[in-house]
Amino acid sequence: MPGGGRCPDCGSTELVEDSHYAQSQLVCSDCGCVVTEGVLTTTYSDEGNLREVTYSRSTGENEQVSRSQQRGLRRVRDLCRVLKLPPTFEDTAVAYYQQAYRHSGIRAARLQKKEVLVGCCVLITCRQHNWPVTMGTLCTLLYADLDAFSGTYMQIVKLLGLDVPSLCLADLVKTYCSSFKLFQPSPSVPAKYVEDKEKMLSRTQQLVELADETWLVTGRHPLPVITAATFLAWQSLRPSDRLTCSLARFCKLANVDLPYPASSRLQELLAVLLRMAEQLAWLQVLKLNKRSVVKHIGDLLQHRRTLVRKAFRDGTAETEPQEKELQEQGQGQGQGKEEAPRGALQFIGSRSWSRSQEECSEAWVGGSPIPWCQRAGCIYSYPVGWPSS
Amino acid sequence: MDADSDVALDILITNVVCVFRTRCHLNLRKIALEGANVIYKRDVGKVLMKLRKPRITATIWSSGKIICTGATSEEEAKFGARRLARSLQKLGFQVIFTDFKVVNVLAVCNMPFEIRLPEFTKNNRPHASYEPELHPAVCYRIKSLRATLQIFSTGSITVTEMRPFLHRWSLGWPWDLC
Repeated sequence: MPGGGRCPDCGSTELVEDSHYAQSQLVCSDCGCVVTEGVLTTTYSDEGNLREVTYSRSTGENEQVSRSQQRGLRRVRDLCRVLKLPPTFEDTAVAYYQQAYRHSGIRAARLQKKEVLVGCCVLITCRQHNWPVTMGTLCTLLYADLDAFSGTYMQIVKLLGLDVPSLCLADLVKTYCSSFKLFQPSPSVPAKYVEDKEKMLSRTQQLVELADETWLVTGRHPLPVITAATFLAWQSLRPSDRLTCSLARFCKLANVDLPYPASSRLQELLAVLLRMAEQLAWLQVLKLNKRSVVKHIGDLLQHRRTLVRKAFRDGTAETEPQEKELQEQGQGQGQGKEEAPRGALQFIGSRSWSRSQEECSEAWVGGSPIPWCQRAGCIYSYPVGWPSS
Repeated sequence: MDADSDVALDILITNVVCVFRTRCHLNLRKIALEGANVIYKRDVGKVLMKLRKPRITATIWSSGKIICTGATSEEEAKFGARRLARSLQKLGFQVIFTDFKVVNVLAVCNMPFEIRLPEFTKNNRPHASYEPELHPAVCYRIKSLRATLQIFSTGSITVTEMRPFLHRWSLGWPWDLC
């Protein structure tokens, strides 16, 4: 009951707040007389809290998934299905896409970038699960430029702060080799070119490991090396029929694109094999060249560890297994420990300078001499004022 | 490489980028017409002036901000910048040489050994990033020195750095790493 109010007709204090539709009224409950009437219309300022809010100012925008994000998520799922990835990968890739979309830089980016972002999320997921997918494959599937892809990829890795492991070479060899259409006879592939998958795979693996040991893979795109290795493996399994087939023809038969650097990688691999063949007594007599060495690849691969060590120990090529030793020791000793030089191993490399141990006991770095052990690649002692690591 | 090549490890500074301000508005058209060795890029609104003595290319904006690139040392960069300011003064502008700052220093160094990049990246996980499909080198970032090192498998290293005085320090890092 509102205090102090009296009905002008009957004088009772029983006044009730009773609204007639939208109009508020004060009515006497005894006689029904309307004491006061509210205002029918409201002012603009009264409606302050009742007015409509535009979508962009509301929080609905953050809660709801926008149309382009929905399209992107659909594309991520489609891409995972095309690549025949396990279902867990799909969820991870979708999660990455949503996480990326929360950043304003991605949300405001052009549609082209968002399309490439789809591929980047799938690539990161595959890398983290060691599933070998190359950027080239994704670029062809997305009809995107490798430059655009690489830019977006580096940006997203930095933005999300992810630690993406590098491409696993062994798995890549397996998947790439399996894509060669040479394991079944067909109208385009004559019977003499058909090969057993397991044999070819194992030989290709060995050749790729050999290339890795002899510095043909470091710093380069892995695919051309694998193509060259597959070609050599295939040729060496039946050299009499297959020596006449060129690399380009091989790729055409196998229905695989020939990457441009593959021919140079092939020549480099053949040069390595020739060097190894020079160490085998029964092959030295034969005076092999780049074509005839293919016939003996099987033997060379069987003894490859000893041959590589022998072939590249002295002469103008690098020392590979010892290099590995050097690197490991260098890393261990690069922590600043002092150690006396061990043995008189001459450090020779075709891409570095050859020098005797006496000449190289001091290297000049930044204007001050630092004694370094050339065998281990470590510094004996740091000069005064050198920053500690 | 033969045994007669130099024994010392040279760190070669290949580029020093610096900026300075002239504190006065510059008439680009006047510089383009009357200045020597200039290229006027009207569409982007800047003038490129090349000096011969310290081999420097300067980008001059009408606001008075000038960027100099191409010097091979910090002193040379300052010398070239001053020379440029003097040549602008001779053209008639009230130039005051202020806010000189070396922005970026690029240097190249050759390590005497090859580096296995995949193992290197594995051992230096958060700082090193290696994508063989994109670039043949490992990109190693030293946050504390604001330096980026590009390490190639042949052993050559390119260092890009924001603070020039710590340049020598950042080059000590490759020895520790490799």
